[in-house]
Amino acid sequence: MKALGVAVALALMAGAAQAEETLALYNWGDYINPEILTKFTAETGIKVTLDTYSSNEEMLAKIQAGATGYDIVFPSVHMNDIMLKLGLLEKTDINLSPDFKNIDPANLRSKEDPTSSYCLPYAWGTVGVFYNEKITGPLTSWADFFAVPEKTGGKITLLDDMREVLAIGLIANGKSVNSADPADIKLATDYILAHKASVSAFSYDSMAMMTSGDIAAAHFFVGGNVFFIQMPEIKYMIPSEGATMYQENICVLASAPDKENAKKFMEFYLRPEIAALNVAQQYNGTANVQARELIPAEIKNNPNITVGPETLTRLHIFEDIGAALKLYDRAWNTIRTAQ
Amino acid sequence: MAIRRQTLVLATLLTPVTLFLGVFFLLPLLIIALFSFLTPGLYGGVEWAFYHWNYGRIFGWADDIIEVYEPIYLQILARSLGFAALTVLLCLLLCYPVAFWVSRLPNRWRMLFLFLITLPFFSSLIVRLYAWLLILKPSGILNTVLIGVGAISEPLEILYTPAAVVLGMVYVMVPFMFLPLYSAVDNLDRALIEASMDLGATRLQTFLKVVLPQTLPGILGGAVIVFIPSVGNFIVPDVLGGAKGLMIGNLVEQQFLSARNWPFGSALSMIVMAVVLAVLLGSTAAAKRKGGQNA
Repeated sequence: MKALGVAVALALMAGAAQAEETLALYNWGDYINPEILTKFTAETGIKVTLDTYSSNEEMLAKIQAGATGYDIVFPSVHMNDIMLKLGLLEKTDINLSPDFKNIDPANLRSKEDPTSSYCLPYAWGTVGVFYNEKITGPLTSWADFFAVPEKTGGKITLLDDMREVLAIGLIANGKSVNSADPADIKLATDYILAHKASVSAFSYDSMAMMTSGDIAAAHFFVGGNVFFIQMPEIKYMIPSEGATMYQENICVLASAPDKENAKKFMEFYLRPEIAALNVAQQYNGTANVQARELIPAEIKNNPNITVGPETLTRLHIFEDIGAALKLYDRAWNTIRTAQ
Repeated sequence: MAIRRQTLVLATLLTPVTLFLGVFFLLPLLIIALFSFLTPGLYGGVEWAFYHWNYGRIFGWADDIIEVYEPIYLQILARSLGFAALTVLLCLLLCYPVAFWVSRLPNRWRMLFLFLITLPFFSSLIVRLYAWLLILKPSGILNTVLIGVGAISEPLEILYTPAAVVLGMVYVMVPFMFLPLYSAVDNLDRALIEASMDLGATRLQTFLKVVLPQTLPGILGGAVIVFIPSVGNFIVPDVLGGAKGLMIGNLVEQQFLSARNWPFGSALSMIVMAVVLAVLLGSTAAAKRKGGQNA
């Protein structure tokens, strides 16, 4: 009986010790190389769980509604700012870690946290156009993209995303993608409506449809390149008028149960070889300057994935636009109901 | 004494379900009702101040400064109701004859058929809709087969059209129409049909005066069960319709997520619920009237 008691106590202690060493990530779907998590666990013994979301707003709504148990989230920069304003994030002093010197200062994009004392730049990329050159010929602009159906009979799709779609209209009219001016948003809406008949769908499923040849060109994230390694006829371009870019940061939640493990993960991700491992699987950009030397040549030498300084000037990033979001919502409803 | 004991048993049996519905149905409903009259928070959530413009921007008393009235919301609701009604009608036309056919099958075939009807529930709705995507796309199975047998020379443009949305909705909803309909048809008193024919009624008269009234409860039951989820469905229009025609379900989802306007989403939900409730009460009243006539 006593032996049993000891055994139970030992089991409970073991269970408790194991329960201490965990880390709960809440990330976008397919947005981290699983190998990184395996390596992290192998090295630290910390068990990692991964839940996924499909939009910043989905994540915010869940955290706001009181979801607890998550340590780390991966918000886009503008959502990073919103979450800071709402007091949902924990100060980590990650900028004091020795390896923080690897981080490109150009990637410290948060307006609320310009020195990165809360969050760490995770990954960034562009949102451009994939096209099947055999069907469309070379494309270089949004004008070329929207002309594809009429010229070639091929189909085109846009992302099913309010701000991404309106950003095309704003960029085409030379306006800021963060404009809060109703007149600018009206111009953008009219631009998209003028092309709506050419657009087959607003969809995130376009990459599979590109592979099967059912779609000739699609508005999508640079990460889509991973699907076309064996298909050289599928190209990716950043339209000459301009396009959007995104960046997500690694943030620790104020409600995180394992803040120390979360900090360990951030420090782990500061290592160049780990950041490079993510790029090799995700086909996007890293903020880690040393890592940029370690990424596979086919990614490093692709001018559309690893964009040069002249392309960077054409890229726009979303900011928190506060109450002006309502203007975009109404414009988006108009676009999606117009026949 | 016996009555008291019966009451006790009844109370014991009903308490769990009452608590369950109270906590998981009534409470959320009350929260939605409350939120629909509150001020939207800048970053989602609500501010605890009364705000009637959530309804104003739908029905037309907005001030054009803070909120703008747009008829678009009622148009979206009307379109969603139209699609739901069409789904009900097509499901009914599809299931009614099949229900008769199945009810006449030998017993073991009948069981197999009923099993087949419920088979789709074994896999996720999303997976099944993506299967339809693969079937309907220009290079998909449907077009490959039709071109292969020479029925068409150019692929049919079905995917990302309203037709694909209706097809998807009917596909999803058919079992919900079939089961109540089948049970009504199966319980049909066949002696009455024989009597009607013996007494000289034509086939059409027999159908209208004998068969239809007896199966009406099944028709109404199926119609209601199909109509309610069809009004709020937002996955089918997204996946098969290419998100080009906004439905009320998409609009509500968008308010809670990308627009971060929970109160407006709540107000829209309340209106959908009111309309669905009206349809439900209307059909119950119709069924009662019919039932009264028969009795």
